[in-house]
Amino acid sequence: MVNLTIDGRAIQAKPGSTILEVAKENGIFIPYLCYHPALKPIGSCRICVVDVKPGPPRPIPACATYITEGMEVVTDTPKLAALRQELMKLVLINHALECPICDKGGECELQDLTHALSVSTVDLDAVKLPPNPDYVSRMVERHPDRCVTCGRCVKICRDRVGAMAINFTLRGYFTELASGAQPLDCEFCGSCIDICPVGALINKQFKYRARAWEGAKTEMACSFCGGGCTYQAHTKNGRILRVVNEDSVLLCGRGRFGWPVVEADDRLKTPLIRDNGKFREASWDEALDLVAAKFKETMEAGGAKAVYGVGSPRATNEANYIFQKFFREGLATNQLDNPGRYNYVRAIKAMAEVFGTPKVEGVEAGGALVPAYNSPLVVKEGGQGSGFPFVLGKLADLSKADLVLVVGTDVTPELPPLGWKLMEAKENANFRLVLANLRKTKFDRYADLSLRYKPGSERVLIAGLIKFILAENPDWTPAIQATGLDELKESLKKLTTKEITTKTGVEDAALKEAAALLAQAQAPAIVFGAELLSQDKGQQTALALADLFLLVGKPDSPGSAMYPVAEKNNSRGVSEVGVLPDMGPGYVPVEGSDPGPTLEEVLDLLEKDDPASPKALYLLGGDLLRWLPNRSRVKKLLKKVPFIVVQDAFLTDTAQLAQVILPVAVHAEQEGTFISSTGQLGLLNQALPTNGVRPDWQIISQLGVKLGFALKYVNPKEIFRELARKMPLWAGLAPKLSAPCPAIKAAVTGKFAPFEADISLPGRRPYTLIIGKSLQHSGSFTTHHPGGPMSVTGKALLTVNPEDARSLGLAAGEVVKVISSHGEITVPVDLSAEVPAGVVFLPEHFAAPAANDLTLNSNLMRVTIQKG
Amino acid sequence: MMTSQQKLETILSRYEGVAADLIPVLQDVQDEFNYLPKDELKIVAGRLQVSLTRVYSVATFFKMFSLEPRGKHLIRVCLGTACHLRGGQHLVETVGRRLNVEPGHATEDLQFSLETVGCLGSCAQAPLMMIDAKYFGRMAVDKVPKILKPYKQ
Ligand code: SF4
Ligand code: SF4
Ligand code: SF4
Ligand code: FES
Ligand code: FES
Repeated sequence: MVNLTIDGRAIQAKPGSTILEVAKENGIFIPYLCYHPALKPIGSCRICVVDVKPGPPRPIPACATYITEGMEVVTDTPKLAALRQELMKLVLINHALECPICDKGGECELQDLTHALSVSTVDLDAVKLPPNPDYVSRMVERHPDRCVTCGRCVKICRDRVGAMAINFTLRGYFTELASGAQPLDCEFCGSCIDICPVGALINKQFKYRARAWEGAKTEMACSFCGGGCTYQAHTKNGRILRVVNEDSVLLCGRGRFGWPVVEADDRLKTPLIRDNGKFREASWDEALDLVAAKFKETMEAGGAKAVYGVGSPRATNEANYIFQKFFREGLATNQLDNPGRYNYVRAIKAMAEVFGTPKVEGVEAGGALVPAYNSPLVVKEGGQGSGFPFVLGKLADLSKADLVLVVGTDVTPELPPLGWKLMEAKENANFRLVLANLRKTKFDRYADLSLRYKPGSERVLIAGLIKFILAENPDWTPAIQATGLDELKESLKKLTTKEITTKTGVEDAALKEAAALLAQAQAPAIVFGAELLSQDKGQQTALALADLFLLVGKPDSPGSAMYPVAEKNNSRGVSEVGVLPDMGPGYVPVEGSDPGPTLEEVLDLLEKDDPASPKALYLLGGDLLRWLPNRSRVKKLLKKVPFIVVQDAFLTDTAQLAQVILPVAVHAEQEGTFISSTGQLGLLNQALPTNGVRPDWQIISQLGVKLGFALKYVNPKEIFRELARKMPLWAGLAPKLSAPCPAIKAAVTGKFAPFEADISLPGRRPYTLIIGKSLQHSGSFTTHHPGGPMSVTGKALLTVNPEDARSLGLAAGEVVKVISSHGEITVPVDLSAEVPAGVVFLPEHFAAPAANDLTLNSNLMRVTIQKG
Repeated sequence: MMTSQQKLETILSRYEGVAADLIPVLQDVQDEFNYLPKDELKIVAGRLQVSLTRVYSVATFFKMFSLEPRGKHLIRVCLGTACHLRGGQHLVETVGRRLNVEPGHATEDLQFSLETVGCLGSCAQAPLMMIDAKYFGRMAVDKVPKILKPYKQ
């Protein structure tokens, strides 16, 4: 600790803090304008000046001065006050004093500061500057005449978001914030809006809807991806006004601007029952009775196994937990799975194969009084755990890694917070970023090494890395206790360097460099995502990555971990609480009964008209038709099921095939928890009325009770308590903390598992299509409301390399036909060199064109492109 | 005759294509095109891997760059302290009026650009103006027409 005095008060503070930080912590007021806790010191406004001894004979900025032992700081003298007043006058000299109509009024730092520093008149005069407002850009309205040129927005956009979309132009008195002589063309995350101390950047969604102080604030976890951000929803009269992250400010565009989907016109409002082929509205009682009766009928005819359930990566842990309980305890079957089967579950399976399923010892039920949504289990002295969850990384640790290998994911669209952490990591001088992707993504700009491989060759690439690491370091011993290295070596023996380089298209020098970086790293992390996992052999690729991590990983160093992207808000939770055919809550393998079929296997059973195929389907959200590959096949197979009940907020493509649809609460209409991609427990608090729809947990519970199951619950808190008691993996967990608890000592061991080092991309068509995510959207959820994300990315465009476009004779915006072995779609093109020649990219979110009309069993496929 | 694309390629081929090349590249573009055309700036940003906003930040910071076409002759009138005190402002206004141009812009026939500058470093000669590389010291407003004449078409 460092000893110093501020205004005569003796204070002890953490080394590395600034004077301003220490003063704030100790309740000593130092005014500031450009400083923001989410950013490194900027030092542009000088309002925070203080006198410091020992130090220069002039006042220095408190925000940019680090404390030293014995420092004496004086924050308040007549001279300092005069200086600050004078500086404020300079700030106010050309400020458009529009407080009554400015959206920032009431939460404006300039208003507050003017008041705090008693600046009553500005006796300075200067040429008026043109106001140059920007009303054209989407989402963000700019008023340069209200800007105090603090630089916060420029910094957050450049250093945290990594978009570099705004910067100052001109200089001195004429300095103006601008976006390159054109309307904003950026990520539309809105982070600049909320970090601006004044009303120079305005949230267009919020503008004129309320005064800043009017909204009631409810804190909640974001529902739009697995990032696990927390924000405050400001509501008034039962409607959301805006959402704000008061801590780090950062949110992505869909998180910040996506909420209007709650108010979408096409939300389902009452249960629907199919009668003579048409849906009619029904009461809850009627609908639930019908479902219960149908389930009973189905079971009487075909046994309990005739009912199959699919859980939801969007629903809360509580809903998913009682959903699996509905099957496991109510029906005594394991007939359930979740749609993560086609991506995230593959990562879990692969990691479990290498690192084992989780085992936790030394946790026990704690005291009687446990706050809501806190795990009742505490970690005892010597608590210990093993298995794959202990190699899964936590978000805050990623910036501590000294090398991050990103494979097969466009980080920012798939999980924006990982991108923010990479930007933070980049500030460490010894950090290295190795990016492997078949197309150019945002982080190429920041990568130390970019490996551009051929479509579908990830496994060969990873095999190559493993081979090169072992070739350069013949006596390599993994930091993790491991077995099976010889078998792995043996299995890769036949793979030659030549094969690796021709199949991946990556030069061996680059591969060797990446291998060397991995071998040298003290805290290497591996980030991989849906782009890779959604391929038919995604699990094999994940296995290769798990092997690579077992080889080079050092899980004892913070940040050295695996970061598979769990894309939806609860993709990780739905598996963790046991919506899997072979594992119950906490990934405990089912005992005493046979595992049920996976979702993939169920489709195969239906295809074969197998007697074991389900006669009734219980679908918790999850538009299978939209999201599963080979849409026409899925449609044909679902149509074979006599009774389908869907719980969803919208009449999705899959819901259209149902007999009963039960409308659910979304977003701020419900309470419950999520587990983020990086293990953080997010708490959703209800801030909106439900208007006749019901939360998932309640519907499952009511249906269960009608069937005579022990599923009666009063609220989700009660469910959480029961659930968390069964989850040693969650011991010590509480909202905003991440599982597993660091108090559980990780005892990670692993066994190398040979994988198939091949390329699989059948067909002869000339182009490779990859289907992936757009930054603005969250599945199809965000496409239901024209505001927010849809106003930025309103439709699907096929990204084509300009060279390919030239040879096809295509101009931007022209509509093409894309034909695969399984179907065809039409879509307008967008030209960009971000996709290499021969590769085209299509976002997956839209109803038309439906990307899965083209797919067979993977998000990669060969296609033909025809003009017109 | 080279197309503007070719001209730009020639410039870019002289550099390594890293961010540090931004200012020299912009200087060359300015010399070649006599201003910094928007489309070319976009290409430069892409090629040097710097954001477009950074390019604009630099392009507007330095007075040597112009975002609109510059006239054939560049008139710089000094408004540094010494020149200011000795009537520099009148001088700018007079030149501007005679040529019908605002400081910071070019005449319609693109014969002249008028700019004001900080200090030309010859305060003893204040007020001062320059046309291209030539200095005109101890200026007076009534000398302006005669000085401009040879530069007109
Ligand atoms: S919205 Fe986000 S990406 Fe766009 S300028 Fe603001 S901070 Fe940058
Ligand atoms: S727009 Fe706001 S955040 Fe950006 S420099 Fe101006 S006052 Fe600061
Ligand atoms: S990153 Fe994900 S969790 Fe965070 S605001 Fe965006 S959608 Fe929400
Ligand atoms: S807050 Fe310290 S210089 Fe602005
Ligand atoms: S002030 Fe004009 S030359 Fe110095």
